[in-house]
Amino acid sequence: MTRAQFILLYLALTGAIATGLAIFSSASTIISLIQTATEGLFLPVLLSMIMAFMMEPAVSFLEAVEVGRVKAIFIIYFLLGIIIYLAFTWLSPYWLNMWSSLATDLPRYTAKMISLIKDGQAYVHARVPFVTNYDLPAKARELAESLVAYTLVQAPKSALRLGSLMVLVPLFSFFFLRDGNRILRTIIRLAPNRYFEMVHDLSYLISRQMAHFIRGRILEAVIVGLVVSLGLSLTDIRYVPLLGAFAGVTNLIPYIGPLIGMVPGILIALVDLGTGGQFWWILVVYIVVAQVIVDNFILIPVLISRFSNLHPLWVIIAILMGGKLYGVIGMIIGVPVASIIKIAIIETRQYRSTFSLPGTLPEIDQ
Amino acid sequence: MNPFWSNIFRKKLDEDSLAHFLKLLPFFSELDKRELQMVEGLLHTRRYSPQEIVFEEGDPGSGMYIIRSGRVRIFHRNGHGAEEELALLGPGDFFGETTLAAPAGRGASARTLESAELLGLFRADLLEAAQKNPSSANRILLGLTRILSERLQAASHELRRMKEQCEATGPRTPSPGLE
Repeated sequence: MTRAQFILLYLALTGAIATGLAIFSSASTIISLIQTATEGLFLPVLLSMIMAFMMEPAVSFLEAVEVGRVKAIFIIYFLLGIIIYLAFTWLSPYWLNMWSSLATDLPRYTAKMISLIKDGQAYVHARVPFVTNYDLPAKARELAESLVAYTLVQAPKSALRLGSLMVLVPLFSFFFLRDGNRILRTIIRLAPNRYFEMVHDLSYLISRQMAHFIRGRILEAVIVGLVVSLGLSLTDIRYVPLLGAFAGVTNLIPYIGPLIGMVPGILIALVDLGTGGQFWWILVVYIVVAQVIVDNFILIPVLISRFSNLHPLWVIIAILMGGKLYGVIGMIIGVPVASIIKIAIIETRQYRSTFSLPGTLPEIDQ
Repeated sequence: MNPFWSNIFRKKLDEDSLAHFLKLLPFFSELDKRELQMVEGLLHTRRYSPQEIVFEEGDPGSGMYIIRSGRVRIFHRNGHGAEEELALLGPGDFFGETTLAAPAGRGASARTLESAELLGLFRADLLEAAQKNPSSANRILLGLTRILSERLQAASHELRRMKEQCEATGPRTPSPGLE
């Protein structure tokens, strides 16, 4: 190799490495730019997709009786608007009242929780003395204080955020409802001719399962929330609607959700009512009526196919990852999103095994 | 109208040529304008280059293709990998209709001979249409069923004729060529 060739090779290699680095860094810049730009978009898009899935049956129903799709969507929006307006005007004094009393009551409830934790730790410490004295109550107090502060200070701020959601979500879901099919078709159209048919078929199967799953989950949450509210309203406990709503929303998280959902109810019951007969009734409502009878015996078999069941390990991983990404909302959304991914994988696998394809599908192979 | 509002209240543009083409097909000859528009929404227009495989024997089949332009060769690969031509189709013809109602593997392969435009009609879209708009979907499905029955009748007729021919000429296996 001559000297000139060597220098040429050296320059070429240096150039290649420099270009690689430049591409890498600019790519990561672009990715971070995209990340920043789409940061606030995830939640409204997800919520409006869920809204669209929920309203789709109603719109299809109107369409089946020969109403145009756009008209059908507007009719549904109009009806929903009336319902929301009525709920707001009738219930807003009640809600405001409840909210202000909750602001004063919250410290009492958290204090009770801290004392409970303290008792629990003392109990454990008495039985198992070699457990190091981890300062759990202080941690809990810190958490509770920050929670109270957050609720009091951040409520107006999150109301603002809620306001932006209230504008974006209906707008997005309108377009998802009207053009959802067309958007999906446009995406599918990108598939090369050879795979187009399969991609089309799969997307149909997956979206059908997904719609079924999302509708089932939401309906389940609503019914559990209603059952809890109904059961609790038979007692003297306060904040029944809030507790019911909380139980419903946390019910979206399997395994752990229902447990979290009953914590505030039990706390409030302990503080306000003590451990009388009503306390046990509340416990029965939460565990036996809402969870065992309604959810496990009636709702889950009817609404949710076993198809989408996740292994508990995946549930925990999904909750942790969701929480890391999007906080509390991420924790609620994480498990359904993981289930949807599982549905997609299972449908693809089933499709492949139905027609045992002789190596024609390298793109789905992994 | 202001472009923003015209976008919201947009009706599907009347693509005269496609609707006209569909009206000429035996499947859709009895549909009215509204139903034809619906069919247009269901079809997928795909462009193929010359000698491009549409599907291979054994692929999962989920629907039929209508040829809008170009020619398509339907063939079967024999044991030695050589292609046996089963049919040569042109504009207005359709193929793959046997998998429209029931999922099954493709029974033969299809390849374009020149650049072609095919209209795909798939089971998934039909099912969705049947849910959303049962009465129109019914008429579309009836049209499809009529054509399928006609083909089935023709096939069984052909089969009987061949059987008779076989019995007349002695024991010889008939060539498989019904597609």
